[in-house]
Amino acid sequence: MTDGTPSSPPPERYDVLVVGAGIAGMEASITLGDAGFKTLLVEREPTIGGKVLLLSKVFPTLDCASCISGTKTSRVSHHPNIDMRTYTEVEAIRREPDGSFLVRLREKPRYVDMATCTGCGDCEKACPIIVPKENDFGLRGRKSIYIPFDTGVPKKAVLDMKNCIYCMACERACPADAIDFLQVEKVREVRVGAVLLSTGFNLFPAEKKTAYHYGEYPNVVTAMQMDRLVGPTRPYNSVMRLSDGKEPANIAYALCTGSRDLTVGNPRCSQVCCMYSMKQAQLLMGILPTADITLYYMDIRAYGKGFEEFYQQTKAMGVKFVRGRVAKIEETSGNDLRVYHEDTEGRGVLVKSDHDLVVLSIGLLPNPGIATIFTNETLELDEMGWIKMRNETQSPSMTSIDGVFVAGCASGPKDIPDSIAEASSAVSQCIAYLTQMRGLAPSGVVPEQTRQESNGEASGLHREVPVEAK
Amino acid sequence: MAEIVLDKPGEKPRIGVYVCHCGGNISDTVDVAKVAEALKGEADVVVSKHILFDCSDASQNEMIEDIKNLNLNRLVTCACSPKLHEATFRGVAQRAGLNQYLSFHANIREQSSWPHGDDPAGATAKALAQARSAIAYMRDATPMEALTSGSTQSVLVIGAGITGLRSALDLASMGVQVYLIERLPYLGGHSAQVGGTYPTGTRGDAIVRDLVGQLLRKPNVTVFTNATVESQSGYVGNFEIRVHIAPRVVVGPSAHFNDAIAACPVSVPDEFEYGRTARKAIYQPRAPVVPNLPVIDLDHCTRCGKCPSILGGAVDFSQRAEVLTLKVGSIIVATGFDPYTPPQGEFGYGAVPNVVTLPQFERLLATEKGPELTYLGRKVRSLAYIYCVGSRQKRAEGDGGGPVHEYCSRFCCNATVNNDLHVHERFPEIRAYHFYRDMRTYGRNELMYEQAAKQGSIFVRYSEDNPPRVTTEDGHALVTVQASILEHDSVAFPVDLVVLVTGMVPRDNQALNDLFSLPIGPDGFYKEVHQKLRPVETNVTGLLIAGTAQFPKDIKETLLSGSAAAAKASTFALKTTLELEPFVASVDTSVCEASGGCLRECPFGAIEMHEYEGIGKRAWVNSAVCKGCGACVAVCPTEAIQLAGLTNPEVRDMIEALAR
Repeated sequence: MTDGTPSSPPPERYDVLVVGAGIAGMEASITLGDAGFKTLLVEREPTIGGKVLLLSKVFPTLDCASCISGTKTSRVSHHPNIDMRTYTEVEAIRREPDGSFLVRLREKPRYVDMATCTGCGDCEKACPIIVPKENDFGLRGRKSIYIPFDTGVPKKAVLDMKNCIYCMACERACPADAIDFLQVEKVREVRVGAVLLSTGFNLFPAEKKTAYHYGEYPNVVTAMQMDRLVGPTRPYNSVMRLSDGKEPANIAYALCTGSRDLTVGNPRCSQVCCMYSMKQAQLLMGILPTADITLYYMDIRAYGKGFEEFYQQTKAMGVKFVRGRVAKIEETSGNDLRVYHEDTEGRGVLVKSDHDLVVLSIGLLPNPGIATIFTNETLELDEMGWIKMRNETQSPSMTSIDGVFVAGCASGPKDIPDSIAEASSAVSQCIAYLTQMRGLAPSGVVPEQTRQESNGEASGLHREVPVEAK
Repeated sequence: MAEIVLDKPGEKPRIGVYVCHCGGNISDTVDVAKVAEALKGEADVVVSKHILFDCSDASQNEMIEDIKNLNLNRLVTCACSPKLHEATFRGVAQRAGLNQYLSFHANIREQSSWPHGDDPAGATAKALAQARSAIAYMRDATPMEALTSGSTQSVLVIGAGITGLRSALDLASMGVQVYLIERLPYLGGHSAQVGGTYPTGTRGDAIVRDLVGQLLRKPNVTVFTNATVESQSGYVGNFEIRVHIAPRVVVGPSAHFNDAIAACPVSVPDEFEYGRTARKAIYQPRAPVVPNLPVIDLDHCTRCGKCPSILGGAVDFSQRAEVLTLKVGSIIVATGFDPYTPPQGEFGYGAVPNVVTLPQFERLLATEKGPELTYLGRKVRSLAYIYCVGSRQKRAEGDGGGPVHEYCSRFCCNATVNNDLHVHERFPEIRAYHFYRDMRTYGRNELMYEQAAKQGSIFVRYSEDNPPRVTTEDGHALVTVQASILEHDSVAFPVDLVVLVTGMVPRDNQALNDLFSLPIGPDGFYKEVHQKLRPVETNVTGLLIAGTAQFPKDIKETLLSGSAAAAKASTFALKTTLELEPFVASVDTSVCEASGGCLRECPFGAIEMHEYEGIGKRAWVNSAVCKGCGACVAVCPTEAIQLAGLTNPEVRDMIEALAR
């Protein structure tokens, strides 16, 4: 590591670096921290929580997403063994001769002092610039200085310098004097014993499926936008068409948008879209009781615990399931939409159906940038760009690099229960690696705990007279 | 532990109340603003607010600020189930310098907004009553301390399939003492019976041998086969498990095992081959056995005396069962699944000779070494797979019969197309037809489906209302199906072999389930506390579940689940002391009349009768075993037994507030 600004003190040490603070990364950090391992959790976004925090409710139990991730964001931010760094990129990871990893971090300037900002939002009110809000997928605007998400952690403002016009209104408005235009990027180096990658996924960019005209027809939206429209922190407090604000009365879901589709380069199934579409259908039936909802599908993949039952329930509620992939969407008068599909269960003819809102059930794509940060080892990706598990039928959490583990959607699309299972599994194998391969004991706070010395003796075992013998 | 600030007698309660919207889960039904407003008038309530999410970090910080700025000394949150967030708000109290038990979490979501969605006014009134009851309780609440208990740093894993093997291996690698018990004489469970697994192609027995090999090299693992749990007692950190170990009989090496096996007159269906072939009472399992010697199936052995005459001292029929007592801190139940066995006649099973189940077919493929696939002496040229046999079932009207498996078995679509690829690779001339409902090759498994279709397998979708019929004709099986792709004509496919794609069903484990009071979900599998928040835990702390005992999974998912359970077990096993809830029963010996009612009522065996000097027999509660359920309190004729933190006067206060 020669370029960049080297940090002057010797690199700080952590037992484990967790990259990505979505549901898997948070779960992994908490379990590691609970076991006494000093964990550095790095997130490139200004808040932790990942995509789950943005969702409405989650299948198949319809718990609110905040109930799932809110517990974890809070525990992460108060855990004595977790050091959380938001708005920070992992720039390079190098294996050292002693087996540890030297990690270079780039902390992006927020232009807001984290220690003094109270998250009051006065700066937001003062800022005159409005740009589309990333966390609402363009459904509403945000200011150039903004609090990224209502329930986000940390609840601190961040200044988007790209759109700032240096009017200094925020600086004048801030009651805590937290705005600092002089902040600069900081490069830090840390040394860690193991790395856990939980870098998640990217959403399929719906405009790539040109036959569906996303971005062109205002009433074609993505399922992620719909989840925001029905969520507790929803932008409009109602479900409406983007063209005219009308409540939709006849909603279509186009499943497999960007999945199982060679024309967009993704032959794989994204695992979660059938279920999230049915979840939204159920929520919409509650919000818009008179609306018709139709799901156009190829196969309904309700394969997890309680999923098939959820599918049957969705059908029983009156959601219409039409087997036939949407071929194309056409806009008709008044921004209504015509959906072309094949009648695969009838005579096999082409059918045109009219709807006033179409939701694209977009798939999940890899977030492969992480591979390039390993400077002297190779993190293997699969042919699509997902992180490759070293041996899926033996130790699924290991990657091609010793001491580097993977959890959650970084290795492929999966639902929340599977992501959490993977996070725990990765922690288990990570602890085993640290204790066994590297002889490291946890360096964090271990209240009232001592680690057992393993001498191989069956300490808890004593034999007694066999009952059946005499 | 934070310093207890509220121990000055006479200090006035100053209560903060926070009513949660739960992002609409509560506020869509309950008028939270009205509840919060009404509570402002309650005695001792200093502040009452309604918040979008009580649990969000910002709200937690707001509560801490309020506690500090307004000198609050009690916290009431009206939100979701305490299972979800009670600990969160105890943490808030603690971070603000209060005793953690001076926080109370009233459940106005599961108990008011959700069940009364059709009656907003009623739900609001009920939520208000619940809040008042919580305030009444908190008013006289006293600080408490968590109980602590010593913990044994060892883990019992029940079941040595790949889940149990993976859990045991991970825990052993962390330095934890592991006991792995298996009821069968061999290790590896169903995975050892699988041929080429997806997605790696590794044979199932190779996966098992690799895991067993790694495990046996660990000094801190003890494996018991032929072993079942006989009884259990204790609690997290201190379980005492009695394990029954059936005799092994084959005790030493011999050069004559093959002769003895040949001489054995017994022939029983071989469970390893799912009954396709037979084995003797003495046999060499094809899965790993420790030590690597043949085993004797004593249930079927006739004690004819042939094998002792051939094997001499290598067998010892006088060997007796043993019972061991293990002390462990936590338990992982990884008892796996049973394959679905179709009843006689379902899709021709048992009636048409050329019908096998998926596991039987996998054994057929694994054992067929020749250049062609033969079944019942005939070359197989065509195959039909019928999907969803024993899965996604619907109970017919008026059918009061056996269990119905409404769930999807998850692994079977993938396993079947994977098998089809192997068939095509080895026997390319075989023509394969797949009769399916929804092809659930999720994720990357989609590529296997695509590949199978590309190489010529025919996929025909059938409707659940009109399933295929299997009959027999000229030694063939005839699969007759109506499908849209066949223009709804009834088309018959004559095939040499029909494979019923059978799923996983919950294993009949009644004895074990009763022993541990294991929670069973509506699908018949073990039920976790919460799929996303506590996915491997049960309501008994320290009793964990993993693998296909919880729900069908493929090999990769099973291994992940095994590791995940190990991670949870490690949070107990790496500690020497554990914290326990202080809400336990205790006896006022001056009032107790030793009626014994509490002893009989206690479901946990926590109460004993003790002889006290000078006063005689009185009830005594083992606080480490007590779960604070209160059953004893209800039956005590003299109110001598009380729950700490939930005494009768406190409960009365709550009831009165509810009834106001």
